[in-house]
Amino acid sequence: MIAVLICLLVMLVLQIITPYWWWVMIVPFAYGMGAAKSGAKAMRTGFVSAGLLWLGSSLYFVLTGSGIITGRVARMLGLPASWPMVLITALIAGIAAAFSGYAGYAVRALFKKK
Amino acid sequence: MKWIRAIVSLLVTAAIFWGLDNRHGTVPPAGKFLNPFAGFWQNGTRGDALPASLVVPGLQAEVRVAWDGRHVPYIFAENDHDLYLAQGYIAASLRLWQMEFQVLYTAGRISEIVGPLGLRQDLFNRRFGMLWAAEKALSKFMDNPKTRLAIEAYSAGVNAYIQGLGKKALPVEYKILDYAPEPWSGLKCTLLLKTMTYTLAAFNQDAAMTVMRDALGETVVDALFPLEPPLVDPVIPPGTAWDFKPLPLPGPNPQKGREAGSRPAGAGSTHDEAADFAPIGTRPSPEVGSNNWAVSGKLTRDGYPILCNDMHLGLTLPAIWYELQLSAPGINARGVSFPGAPLVVAGYNENIAWGFTNGTDDVLDWYAVRFKDESRGEYLVNGEWRKTSVREERIKVRGGKTVVDKVIYTHQGPVVRLKGEAPFPGVDVPEDAALRWLGHDPSNEFMTLDGLNRAKNYDDYLKALESWDCPAQNIVYADREGTIAIWHNGKYPLRWKGQGRYVLGGSDPANDWQGWVPRAHNPHVRNPERGFVSSANQMATDARYPYYLGSDYASYERGARINEILSGARGVTPEDMIRMQGDVLDMRARAVLSRLLAFIPEPKAEAEKRSLDELRGWNFEARAAFIAPTVFKQFWNDLNALTWNDEKKGAMERMTWPASEVMVDLVLNHPDSDFFDDKTTPGKETLADIAGDAFRTAVSKLEKRWGPFGPGWRWGKAKGTRISHLARIPGLGREGLEADGDGHVIDAISVNWAPSWRMVVELGPEVKAWGIFPGGQSGNPGSRYYDDMVDAWLATKPDELIFLKSAGEPNPGIVARTTLRGEK
Repeated sequence: MIAVLICLLVMLVLQIITPYWWWVMIVPFAYGMGAAKSGAKAMRTGFVSAGLLWLGSSLYFVLTGSGIITGRVARMLGLPASWPMVLITALIAGIAAAFSGYAGYAVRALFKKK
Repeated sequence: MKWIRAIVSLLVTAAIFWGLDNRHGTVPPAGKFLNPFAGFWQNGTRGDALPASLVVPGLQAEVRVAWDGRHVPYIFAENDHDLYLAQGYIAASLRLWQMEFQVLYTAGRISEIVGPLGLRQDLFNRRFGMLWAAEKALSKFMDNPKTRLAIEAYSAGVNAYIQGLGKKALPVEYKILDYAPEPWSGLKCTLLLKTMTYTLAAFNQDAAMTVMRDALGETVVDALFPLEPPLVDPVIPPGTAWDFKPLPLPGPNPQKGREAGSRPAGAGSTHDEAADFAPIGTRPSPEVGSNNWAVSGKLTRDGYPILCNDMHLGLTLPAIWYELQLSAPGINARGVSFPGAPLVVAGYNENIAWGFTNGTDDVLDWYAVRFKDESRGEYLVNGEWRKTSVREERIKVRGGKTVVDKVIYTHQGPVVRLKGEAPFPGVDVPEDAALRWLGHDPSNEFMTLDGLNRAKNYDDYLKALESWDCPAQNIVYADREGTIAIWHNGKYPLRWKGQGRYVLGGSDPANDWQGWVPRAHNPHVRNPERGFVSSANQMATDARYPYYLGSDYASYERGARINEILSGARGVTPEDMIRMQGDVLDMRARAVLSRLLAFIPEPKAEAEKRSLDELRGWNFEARAAFIAPTVFKQFWNDLNALTWNDEKKGAMERMTWPASEVMVDLVLNHPDSDFFDDKTTPGKETLADIAGDAFRTAVSKLEKRWGPFGPGWRWGKAKGTRISHLARIPGLGREGLEADGDGHVIDAISVNWAPSWRMVVELGPEVKAWGIFPGGQSGNPGSRYYDDMVDAWLATKPDELIFLKSAGEPNPGIVARTTLRGEK
């Protein structure tokens, strides 16, 4: 829980001050490599923290002025409504973060003694 | 085991990263695009906020900008440099992606963005010499200190905006297509002008005409595509006396006969097959049009002249135009401009108003070239071999190899399509023919805009027009002193009558252009007796005009309707003029319908009966809610198809049909004409025979397309007007609009061409104006101002335009003010 919160906050700050999307892969990878107790935990932490971050922030933007553009992008992608955009966004971040978190743990495991 | 797990999980993670960081076909790079902090989510209405102050590097003094509720900027600068710089900055802040995309398109650089998909179009634009033309025009602009200042300062403004733009605030199209803006330049301003020049002055059917002449003979072609068409009411009132002594016209080489060599006997390229010239599906569509007129104070209620203009162009979002006011010492202009070019293009100032319709003259000819051999290194001129020149065009392709194309040039111009090459889609280009196009010649149209923006009177207007060469325009004028005028203005090659209607022989120098019509001899009229001037892309003059300017003009209906209304007009108000821009009376239907209906036998089928009832009760208005316009349009098309498509084994099928005035004339005056005979049957048919067939065919087609007779046939739905996104990105346009009007009525809203800016200006002591365009000020699809004017535009309900005297003038319509400052 605390890991999720820390990952989320670190990603939030990095995403605000830079335009790069891949912090949602780097930070979970770093967590997996540096602190995760198991592969499953690394995956879960990545998925939940990045997913929550993109879910919450995209929701925030939709509610503060991005409603029109979200509707248009949904139509561009052939979706019947705007709200799936929020879910897709959260899922993409979550999946990317989960795999990179696991990869981080897998690399760490190479150097870990039994 | 551990190693395998680590390697596999790293590989999977890398694959996910790669997949989300890159575009796949038309799918945007998902990671970048969906990132809430920098992806499309950032392109919301927050971008509509107007800051109180902005730092714009390069400004010499403060520039003050007021904004109205439709997001229109009113720019007040202390000098010209700052004015243009601020215009560039603001245009970019509203429309950066559109500005750049239009220019890259014309430059033949779309493949850099979309990959191999854009290659064919890029190759066409390179071969057509668009970049070559822009480079030449730029040097002309740079030679003139005034236009040089305008272009350099404007470009600096655009670049100031680009430099201050982070990745997060990039227009959403860059994010969808995954690329970034490059620096703006004078060449880009010039390319934008050439984009319009191509749209307005490159239409031609020379190749198709040549095929038709070869199939039908010149007499028939002249009857169907007459140089002096019936019913047309020309721009300049018939009988207007010319105040000049005409130059003698050149003639074709007498030894080779008229149009010598247009089918070069034994030349390297012969064009015997119709398919060489005009493959089916490559017919251009002559839809470009516009209306303008000015009414003298004699005819208006308040005694002030009123000028009106609606320019018909392709419907796109972001809109073609944006509105603005430009003010600095010596200039105070209000109207619309193209994103990407300095100054106001169409509009008014405190003293005068001006507007455009396309001249639609022929300034493009094809010359069949006889090459010595396959290398095309030499070609025949006057019995001697002359060297061709080569311009290398390098087309970069995203995700592919750069394509190098060596374009062959003769003294006439580029060879656009080589023998044996596939045709270019949508254009009719003869093989192994050199292109002579006025759009390639350097000229300085920005100087004209500069002059018009600053003009105080008729003399200033006249002086401004001298620099406008291409695309030729009917430039309408009215001023506060009461003068109204129109000049059919451009640079015209001096030619014999009909020269260049067909592909010309390139080996005979007598076929080349032999000089120019003197500027003062251009068709024009000032303060005519009838109290109004007008144009609607129809032929400019009656037969007494001594020069030949072209023959592919718009059909007669819009021009005739405008003149019909204005001829009877008294006590005219601006409201009358706004209504007139929305006039949808179909002159064609009014002329022929009762005659045609008389030929239709009483139908038995229900749909035919009810369709006939609709036509009988119709008031000839092309209203969205009516069914009659749908039926008439289909009926008219089928009547034309039955009349023309059987001529000479289908040679005609490849051409545009003769203009509607020719058909209307046949229906009214020659119902027994041989053209109505169905050549595929042994008997002889007349109009009476084929009218019934055409009607039945039309109704059955409509049933197939729109279901049983009923509201589903209404004109608005059947026409299906749409405003597509400029790059055809789904979801970013407006579809399914139900619009009144049609291409040949005054309110010329067709499927995707329409009045792009409706303007009415009353030149009283205080100039008052109304305007609206099909879109909005912002180019951001996520903005409130992207398409907010569409509904008012559809309803022909223009807004009264604000015209400020000073930056600080209080006005209830002004909602925000921004001060732009240079860097300390």
